[in-house]
Amino acid sequence: MELIPALYIILPLLGAFLIPIVGHFVKGFQKTLSVLITLFLVVYSVWFYVVGYDAPAVTKVGGWEAVKGIPIAIYLVYDGLSAFILLTVNLIAFLSTFYAMGYIKRFTAENNFYALLCLMIAGMNGVVLSGDIFNIYVFLEIAVIASYALVAFGTEKRELEASFKYQVLGGIASLLILFAVGLLYWQTQTLNLADISAILQYEDQSTALIFTEVLLIVGFGLKAAMIPFHAWLPDAHSSAPSPISAMLSGVLIKAVGVYALIRLFFNIFTITYELTLVIIVLGTLSMVIGVLLAIGQWDLKRLLAYHSISQMGYVVIGVGIGMMIIFEDGNRTVAALSIAGGLFHLINHAVFKGLLFLDAGAIEYLAGTRNLKELGGLSRKMPVTSSTSLGASMAISGVPPFNGFFSKLLIIIAAVRAEFYLLAALAVFVNFVTLGSFMKFIRYAFFNLKESGVSLIKLRLPFSMKFSMITMVILCVLMSLMVFPFFREILLNPAVDVLMNTGEYASKIIGS
Amino acid sequence: MTDLLNILIFLPLAVGILLFLVPDKLRIWKGSAAFAVTLLVLFAAIRIYGAEEVIVPLIQQVQGSAFLTQFTHTLQEFTVLNMNALSKLILLFLAVLAPLIGLYSIYREKNADFPAHFYSWFLITLGCSAGTVLAENLLLFLFFWGVLGYTLYKLIAQNDEASSASAKKTLIIIGSSDALMIIGIGLIWNIAGTLNISELSIATTGGPAVMAFLLLAIGAFTKAGAFPFHTWILNFTEKAHGLSSAYMPASFDKLIGIYFLALLCSRIFELNQWLVFALLIIGVCTIIFAVMMALIQHNFKKLLGYHAVSQVGYMIVGISLGSPLGIAAGLFHMFNNAVYKGGLFLTAASVERRTGTSDIDKTGGLASKMPLTFIAAVVFALSISGIPPLNGFASKWMIYQGIVDFGQQSGIASQLWIIWLALAVFGSALTLASFIKYVSGIFLGRKKEIYEKIKEVGLLQWIPMMLLAVICIWFGAFATEYVIKELFMPVSGTFAFVGIWDSSLLLWLVVASIVVGFLIYWIGSLKNMRKVEPFIGGEKADETQGYPITGFYHTLRKSRYLAFFYARAEEKWFDIYDLFKGFVLWTNKGFSTIHTGVLTTYAFWIYGGLAIILLLLIL
Repeated sequence: MELIPALYIILPLLGAFLIPIVGHFVKGFQKTLSVLITLFLVVYSVWFYVVGYDAPAVTKVGGWEAVKGIPIAIYLVYDGLSAFILLTVNLIAFLSTFYAMGYIKRFTAENNFYALLCLMIAGMNGVVLSGDIFNIYVFLEIAVIASYALVAFGTEKRELEASFKYQVLGGIASLLILFAVGLLYWQTQTLNLADISAILQYEDQSTALIFTEVLLIVGFGLKAAMIPFHAWLPDAHSSAPSPISAMLSGVLIKAVGVYALIRLFFNIFTITYELTLVIIVLGTLSMVIGVLLAIGQWDLKRLLAYHSISQMGYVVIGVGIGMMIIFEDGNRTVAALSIAGGLFHLINHAVFKGLLFLDAGAIEYLAGTRNLKELGGLSRKMPVTSSTSLGASMAISGVPPFNGFFSKLLIIIAAVRAEFYLLAALAVFVNFVTLGSFMKFIRYAFFNLKESGVSLIKLRLPFSMKFSMITMVILCVLMSLMVFPFFREILLNPAVDVLMNTGEYASKIIGS
Repeated sequence: MTDLLNILIFLPLAVGILLFLVPDKLRIWKGSAAFAVTLLVLFAAIRIYGAEEVIVPLIQQVQGSAFLTQFTHTLQEFTVLNMNALSKLILLFLAVLAPLIGLYSIYREKNADFPAHFYSWFLITLGCSAGTVLAENLLLFLFFWGVLGYTLYKLIAQNDEASSASAKKTLIIIGSSDALMIIGIGLIWNIAGTLNISELSIATTGGPAVMAFLLLAIGAFTKAGAFPFHTWILNFTEKAHGLSSAYMPASFDKLIGIYFLALLCSRIFELNQWLVFALLIIGVCTIIFAVMMALIQHNFKKLLGYHAVSQVGYMIVGISLGSPLGIAAGLFHMFNNAVYKGGLFLTAASVERRTGTSDIDKTGGLASKMPLTFIAAVVFALSISGIPPLNGFASKWMIYQGIVDFGQQSGIASQLWIIWLALAVFGSALTLASFIKYVSGIFLGRKKEIYEKIKEVGLLQWIPMMLLAVICIWFGAFATEYVIKELFMPVSGTFAFVGIWDSSLLLWLVVASIVVGFLIYWIGSLKNMRKVEPFIGGEKADETQGYPITGFYHTLRKSRYLAFFYARAEEKWFDIYDLFKGFVLWTNKGFSTIHTGVLTTYAFWIYGGLAIILLLLIL
């Protein structure tokens, strides 16, 4: 079987267009199709991890070959890093879609929901695969516009307000990115990432280039919800229907935010001290302030949303420390450890934060509220939700044997080894507060009272919701194995290698 | 050897996980299965204790499909275990205590505070404790150590507001200290280039080395419960079932925490005199502050909790002395404490099970109703108060000897030996004072009418208590002849006792004096003995007139110098958890107020951030 990267975009797009038309006539079509598409993409991703492929696999859309070394076609690049992010995106997409089958029944317009969801998945996959900065922008817009609509899906006052804020602030980011794309085209006369990288290798950092890079940091930083560009996230992520919150917090901010930042600043631009510092400082601010904002929240989904900001901070400092070591020509093992920690935390966060949002959805589904002050004593009545929430909370708080422990371990140890003592101390401090706020969630939602504090509006969770939650909590434990060299070599190392060999991106892709 | 290791670590874990599938209604069956597993573990631990010292991987490479071979090969590298004298000894102690707790837990009736899936967590704790003690690599150690924090959390039934708050606090403090240890481990990796415990020997001269030591020591202090990281123990013991308290904070956490402290002080680091000084200060502060708080408690489980903290001070003092005598004394006290404190929590569990309360003011006069529990409680109470010839006396005496011996050396900490000694002895006296309250408040005094019908606990409950009491007596009586020589000297190195002390002679002297006392009593007054109601100024005694033993201690709480501190302590001024929580919530308030929800403000932040970055990078 040959690897066809375009399938990741074509299939969900196809789903997005078929669902409103066929779903109108065939009952149950929308659920079946979107679950099948996402399931196929997960299996497809895992399959190529198992059998291997020639990295990087490049598809030239339209089949136009490069002329005199100048690429003409739009490139889709499937390398170690893309494969890793694609696996994350589609895994969470599948589990959220499956969960949604039971959950979303209470809303009207199911067709629109699944169509928008497929559109969002297509957009994210497109951003991750695209080897062309303008197409990154286009797919990013596809993904976020679908997400604007999904945030507003409840169509109550709250949801509409959140969506409006999200659109305005997201619009600013898109504008900045588009502006930067224009500037980049003006400076390099190309939009192909590999080509830009090849051209920039021989040029000095001009002021215009730095300006462009700052615009990109701010634009993608906003999509990744780095503080101080985070303000849209708590409203948007808490107002969306829960499976969508799981997608937004679990993968959207990573695929269109962190991934794009990492790809651009490792593989395309030359790493400089100042930019690395800016990235690390943004990551640190997010990590610390995000968690301090989170601990005071009593709305469960808002609490989770603020934690996404904080956890993204971990990912960014993990990768940022690696970047700094590469810049300083330091110990490459430590750099690899740090980047591996960051990427490992990225996929872990996708799973446990996705699960936490699904749990929040389950609580809202049965109890009708997500205000922690009104909940309590649910552990007996909701054993599945209670135990999966506890597992996910332990994972995000870095308690072994759950996956979050290992990724935080890698990040903190790498920070100490690279002598970033302050960062290590802050990461540990943030871990205290994270643990504290998740203990608060567990205590006030599931224990605290002898009997459950609220009367349940429904008695049982549908199978599809339980299935996704249980699968994810099992993943929270099993993914710990990725810390062992055997699994690390298969899953993490290809992605880390792409980032470690910063200069090879251009030669590998244009050369092929 | 591999089979034994599998029994030690994988068997409890596997059975523990399987027991999740069995409903809690079949409690007797689950308990019996768990007890059988603990017996097997005891067997394996005894066999390993007799075997030679080796370093072996836990997981053997499996030859089979390429995948399996490769995978097990990887695991092999990361799961190396080290069976040295110290770890084998601690393992033996763990394995001796587990069956006793397991046996005690087997009874039929349901209590609300009995944790769900108790036996699963019980066995997982056992397996992970064995793993912690045997781990050769610090990361493997940290993994098992971290899981223990989680199992501790699961051993409280969170059935009401107060118990869920206690559970929350426990996991937050324990989990946070584990996270701090990660930095310490990273620093060790930087300094020594390896994380294998047997290859480490780091001089604490530079800043990073001292920092690494302190961070790892905080982990050990938190787990064992030393000042000022002890506060979780009080909340845990007050609200958890006595059985859980007897299992984790009273015995297993002490064994593992002090094991790690001993490892830090004697193997991984070479301490400088200032660190020894700091450790001694922490040790004596732990002894004194905790016992002062214990004096004013009304809840007997919380009282035991304060003593669970106070006793850790002695272990820290012993181990920080650094001499073979000191280390042996610290380890000996650690095991003694696990025995009598575990026993005390079991007696507390028995009393609470029968009376339904843990308030000293509400109990009283239970000695005649629960005679076996009473006898056991007296033995444990005398032992913890350091009364010869019991084991608590033996180990405290060794610690005093160690301090005197330590005073011969030069250095700041040695110069002050008389202070350490005085405070340690003073703490022991206060311990006795507060255990008079425990024993007389619960078992002696006027019996309440509501307790007329209560019965002694069952066979399976009093056997473990009695066995623990026997260990207390036996370890005390044969301390010098057998226990120290055979069990502790192989670990600490040989040493000579300071001064004259022969534990068996002491036993005979004490027994003789008791016998002579009884003889005099019988000869003199047996004929003339009569029983009368207590004289209370001619008034008729009735139920409403209580003279609770706790009232006796009010003097202390109200004394001029201490009243202020007691009042502040009860307002949690000295609780590290509440201080930290206050700080975090204060910052949260600050950040939350600037999140007004106004869109223009948020947009302004974006442009502001952009402007700042541009200014910094382009100018």
